[in-house]
Amino acid sequence: MTEMKKEEKVYRQLESNKLLQQIMFQNMLMGHQASEENRLAWVTSGFPVEIPVAMDVGVSYPEQYGAIVGSQKVGPEVCGYAEDIGYSQELCSYARASIGSVENPDNSPMEGLPKPQALLAGNNICGTVLRWYDAISEQTGAPVFLFDTPPIEDEQPDHHKEYVRRGIERLVAFLGTTFNKTLTDERMQEVADLSSKALGLWTKSLTACKTSPSPLNCADRFLAMGPVVSMRGTELIIDFYQSLLDEVEMRVKEGLGAIRDEKIRLLWDNIPPWHSIFKFFNGLAKRGVVFPADTYTHAWSGKIEGDDLFGSVVSIYSNVYLNKGLNAKIDKMCKMIKDYNLDGFVMFSVRSCKRYSLGQLVSKEIVAERTGVPGVVIEGDMVDSRVYNEAQIQTRVDALLEMFM
Amino acid sequence: MSYEGVLEQSDSGLRELVEAGEEIIGYIYPHTPLELILAHGFTPSLMRAIPGITSGFEESLQTFACSYIRNLYNQRTNEQLPPISGLLFPGNTCDSLQNLTDIWKVRFSEDRVFRLTYPVTRYANDDSAEIYLTKELEILSSTIESTLDRPFTTDNYERAVSLIREFRLDAQFLYAARVVDPEVLSYTELARLVRSFLSAPVTSVGSEIHRVTLLVKEKLKSKGLLGIIDSILSGLQKKDLSKVNSFKPPSGPRLLVVGGMVEPQAIATIINGIDSVDDSILILDLLSFGFKSVFAPPINRSGNPFEEMAKSILAAPGEPTQEGLRYRMDFLKDLVKALHIDGLIICEQSFCDPDQFEAPSIEKAASAAGIRTVRIPLDPELSDRARIEVKIQTFLESLGIS
Amino acid sequence: MDKFGIGIDVGSTTAKGLLIDSEKNVRAKHIMLTGAAAAHAIDEILRELELQSGLQLDNIPIIGTGYGRARIEKSTKTVTEITCHSIGVHSLNPEIRMLIDVGGQDAKVIRIGKDGRPEDFELNDKCSAGTGRFLEVMARVLGVTLDELGPLALQSKTPSSISSTCTVFAESEVIGHIGAGEKPANIAAGIHVSMTTKIGSLAKRVKVVPPVCVTGGVALNPAFRHYLSKHLGLDLWIPEEPQLTGALGAAVLAIE
Repeated sequence: MTEMKKEEKVYRQLESNKLLQQIMFQNMLMGHQASEENRLAWVTSGFPVEIPVAMDVGVSYPEQYGAIVGSQKVGPEVCGYAEDIGYSQELCSYARASIGSVENPDNSPMEGLPKPQALLAGNNICGTVLRWYDAISEQTGAPVFLFDTPPIEDEQPDHHKEYVRRGIERLVAFLGTTFNKTLTDERMQEVADLSSKALGLWTKSLTACKTSPSPLNCADRFLAMGPVVSMRGTELIIDFYQSLLDEVEMRVKEGLGAIRDEKIRLLWDNIPPWHSIFKFFNGLAKRGVVFPADTYTHAWSGKIEGDDLFGSVVSIYSNVYLNKGLNAKIDKMCKMIKDYNLDGFVMFSVRSCKRYSLGQLVSKEIVAERTGVPGVVIEGDMVDSRVYNEAQIQTRVDALLEMFM
Repeated sequence: MSYEGVLEQSDSGLRELVEAGEEIIGYIYPHTPLELILAHGFTPSLMRAIPGITSGFEESLQTFACSYIRNLYNQRTNEQLPPISGLLFPGNTCDSLQNLTDIWKVRFSEDRVFRLTYPVTRYANDDSAEIYLTKELEILSSTIESTLDRPFTTDNYERAVSLIREFRLDAQFLYAARVVDPEVLSYTELARLVRSFLSAPVTSVGSEIHRVTLLVKEKLKSKGLLGIIDSILSGLQKKDLSKVNSFKPPSGPRLLVVGGMVEPQAIATIINGIDSVDDSILILDLLSFGFKSVFAPPINRSGNPFEEMAKSILAAPGEPTQEGLRYRMDFLKDLVKALHIDGLIICEQSFCDPDQFEAPSIEKAASAAGIRTVRIPLDPELSDRARIEVKIQTFLESLGIS
Repeated sequence: MDKFGIGIDVGSTTAKGLLIDSEKNVRAKHIMLTGAAAAHAIDEILRELELQSGLQLDNIPIIGTGYGRARIEKSTKTVTEITCHSIGVHSLNPEIRMLIDVGGQDAKVIRIGKDGRPEDFELNDKCSAGTGRFLEVMARVLGVTLDELGPLALQSKTPSSISSTCTVFAESEVIGHIGAGEKPANIAAGIHVSMTTKIGSLAKRVKVVPPVCVTGGVALNPAFRHYLSKHLGLDLWIPEEPQLTGALGAAVLAIE
C-alpha cells in the first residue's frame, strides 16, 4: 500500500537536492564565520557580488532570509516584529522580515542573519532596497553602500554606463577602506570565471525545460537558484550545478518530466508565495500543470567576461529584468511563452512588491494578445500569508485551467 | 473654505495661462528643472493629486499602487488633467512612479511623455552624479526640442533663472519668517502662494509673492526680528542649524509637518477644520511640495545651464535619494531643537514606500529629541478625514493644546 | 456652591450622557441609540439628565466627544473621545497606564500619563480588522449570535489557525475550515486569536505599560478578554460600565 502511494507521487524529487541542502548550510556557516571576523556584508540579490567575493568579503542575503521566513510559515510573526516598531504592513515583506528579525532575533528563524559590517544595496531590482538598507543600517550601525543603476528603457546610453562604472570604482574603494582589502586583477578574473561557469550550468538547466515533459517545475527552480543568487563566484557551487544539469539532462534523455503527467505548460511571473510554494505548485502538478519557465529564476544569467571585466559588470547588472521598462518585460514573457512552448501564464501580483507587480495588469493584456495564450493574475504576498487568500486564488487558477479543457 | 475651494483658488493662475494660449508641460516630481522647460518656451505646471476622482485606475493599477499615482491615473482616464502639451515623469525616484510612467506610455501612447531619470547620489563624493544628470538634462532638452519643435533659447532661460531665483529667495524668507512669527502669514496662505507658483511659474505670481514678502519684511522689521530670521534662513539654506542664533519663540504650540508628496494645503485645511485651532501652530513643513521645493538652491546664471540645473537639483534638501537616512534624521533633530518645535505631524501617503519607510525613523529621532509625534495616513481624497481629525485633535490635546 | 459638569459622547451606534458633581458622583446618566439624527439623541439625553438630576442645565458646562461631537450645539467645547476615555478611566482607576478600547467600528490603544491625559495612542486603520465588526462577520459565518461567539470559543483547547487579519480574507479562511469539518469552537477560538493578535500589535506600537484596562462593547466578550490577556501576558482591568468612560471623561473635563 505504502509502496503504491510512493509510486503515485505527482512530482519527482531531484537527487541533487541533497547537495543543495549541504551547500546552503555551509554557506550559512561561512556567513557566521565572516561576521565573527568582521568581514560580512549583507547584499541585495541583484548586487555585483563578484566584487566583494573577490575581495574576501563574506555575504548574506536578506531576500533569501525572507524566503526562509516565508517557507517556515512564520511570515506574519517575523514581519509583525517590524510592524510593532512602526513599519507599515504595506511595505515589502522581505524588508519587514529582515527588519523584524534584527529587532527580535530570538524569535526568528536561525536567530536572524549574522550581524553585518556593511550593507551593499543595488537598486537594479527596486528602489525599495535603499530605504530598507537604510533602516537596517539604523538598527545595526553598519554603513550602507548604494550601487545605483538608473533604470533603462532600450539600449543603455553611454553616460549611464560611465556613471554606473564610477559606482563600481567607488564600491572597490568602499570595500577597501571598510574591510582593509584590495582587489587584484587575478582574483577578479578568477571569481568572474567561476561566476560565469555556474551561470552557464544553471542556464543550461533552465533552457532544458524547453523540452516536453519539462525536467524541472517552478518550485525546483526556486530552490535550486539559491546558490547562484547567493554564492556565485565561489568554487563551492560548481559541483552542485553540474550534478543538477546531469540530472536534468538525464531526465530529458529518458523523457522523464518533473511531474508525472504533464498536460498543461504555464509561465510563472514574479516571486513565489514561499509560504505555500509546495502546496501551490504540487497542487497544480496533480492536475497535470507544470511551469517550465518563469521570469524570476531566469534573472541570474549574465556572464562577466571579456577584456574589460568592469565594463561587463556594468552591462550585466544594469540590464537585469527589473531594471528595464515594461516593454522589455513584455517582450521577454512573449519570447519565453514561444520558446518554452507554453499554453498560458500565471502572474502573481505581490502586494508588497511594487516594482515587480505594478504593470502586470497591462502586460497581462498585451502578452495574451500577442501570444494568443490566456493568462491570469492572482494576488497575494511572497512572505506575508495574512494577505494571501487561498480560496480566491484557487478560483482564479481554476478558471484559467478550464480554458484549456 | 472647503479643500476643493482651496485647490481651485491656487490653480486659477494655470487656468488663466491655458486660456491665454500658453502651452504647458505637466510635471510630477518636486525637483524638476523648471528653468529648462521655461527655456523651451513652455510653462511647467505641477500636476497635483485632487480629491473627488476615485476610480479609473483599476484597469491598469493594483490597489496597492500608491494613492498619489492612482489619483494621477484617475485624472487621466477621467479627462480631468489640464490641457498639456507633454508630461514629465521622474525616473529612479520610487518604484510606483517608475512603473506608472511605463504604464502611462503604453496606455496613453498618444500622450507626449518625457522622463528624467535621476541619479541616487547618496554616499557618493565624486562628480559622477553631476556629470550624469547634466547629460540627462541635455538629452531631455534635445528631446523636447525634437518632439515639440521648440528650441532652448538663452533669453528664455535667463528670464526663467531670474524668475525662479526670486521666487525661491522670497519663499525661503517667508518660510524662515514664520518660524519666528507664525502669525505674520498663515500657513494656508504660504502654501497657496507656493502652490500657485508651482502650478504656474509666471511673473504675475512671482510678483504677488514678492509683494507679500515685502509686506512681511516690513512688519518684522518693525518688530526687530529680521536678524534672527536671517540667521534661521541661512541655517536652512546651508542645512546646518548649529549657527542659528538662539531666540525666544512666541507663546503657543509649535508643530512641524513632515512627509513627502502629500499636499501641504490638505494638511492646512484639516488643521483649520479642527475646533479652536488654526494653522499658526504649524511652524514649518518639510514636505516635498513645500520646504523641499522651496529650499532647492537658486541657479547661478553665469555657468553652463545644464550643469547649473544639475547642481541645483542635487543640492535640494531632504530627498531620500539624495541624502542618507542618518543625515536627514540628524538634521531633523537639530532643527527641532534650534527652532523650538513641540511636536511632529508625520504624514504618510498610503502605499508610499518612501513615506512609510521613513516614518519609524522620524518617530525614533523625535523621541531622541524628546518630542511627541503623530502619524497621519493620508490619501489625496482625504477619504479617512474623520479619523485623521480625531488623531490630530487628540495629539494636540495630549500636548496640552486645544 | 456645588459645581457640575456634563459629558456627552455621541458614538456611531450609541449616544451617552453623564452629569457629575465636583466629587465625581454621577448625578444622572442616559444611554440610547444614536439613530439617524444625532441632534435628536442629544436633545433627549439633555432632557433625561435634567429630569433625573432635577437641576437647571443652562449654566452647567458641557463637553462633547465622539464622532458626532461637532453636532452638540450646546457644548462648551469638544474634545476627542481618545482624551475623554483616557481621563474617564483615570478618574475610575488612577493606576491604569494603558487603555484598549474596542468598539463596533474602531479600535484604539491609549497610553495614559500620570495626569490622566493620553501620552501616546494608536487607532486602527480604515479596514475593519481588529474591530467589533470583524467578530460580527465571523459570528454570522459560523451561524451563531455575537453573544454566543465568545462562550463558544472558550470551549476550545486547540484554536484553528486563521492567518488573515483582513475581514474578507479571514471570512473565506473560516469557510474553508468549516468545509474541512473543523469544530466550530476551534474556529471561534481561532477568530479571537487572530483578532487579539491584531489588537496586540496595535498596543505594541505605543508600548504596553501595565496595568491595562479594556473598554468598549467588545470588552464584554469573555473570549476576547481571555485571548488578549494571554497574548499580552497580563491581567486586564474592566470598569463596571465600560461604555460610559468616554462620557465620564468629558464630564470630568467639563468640571475642570
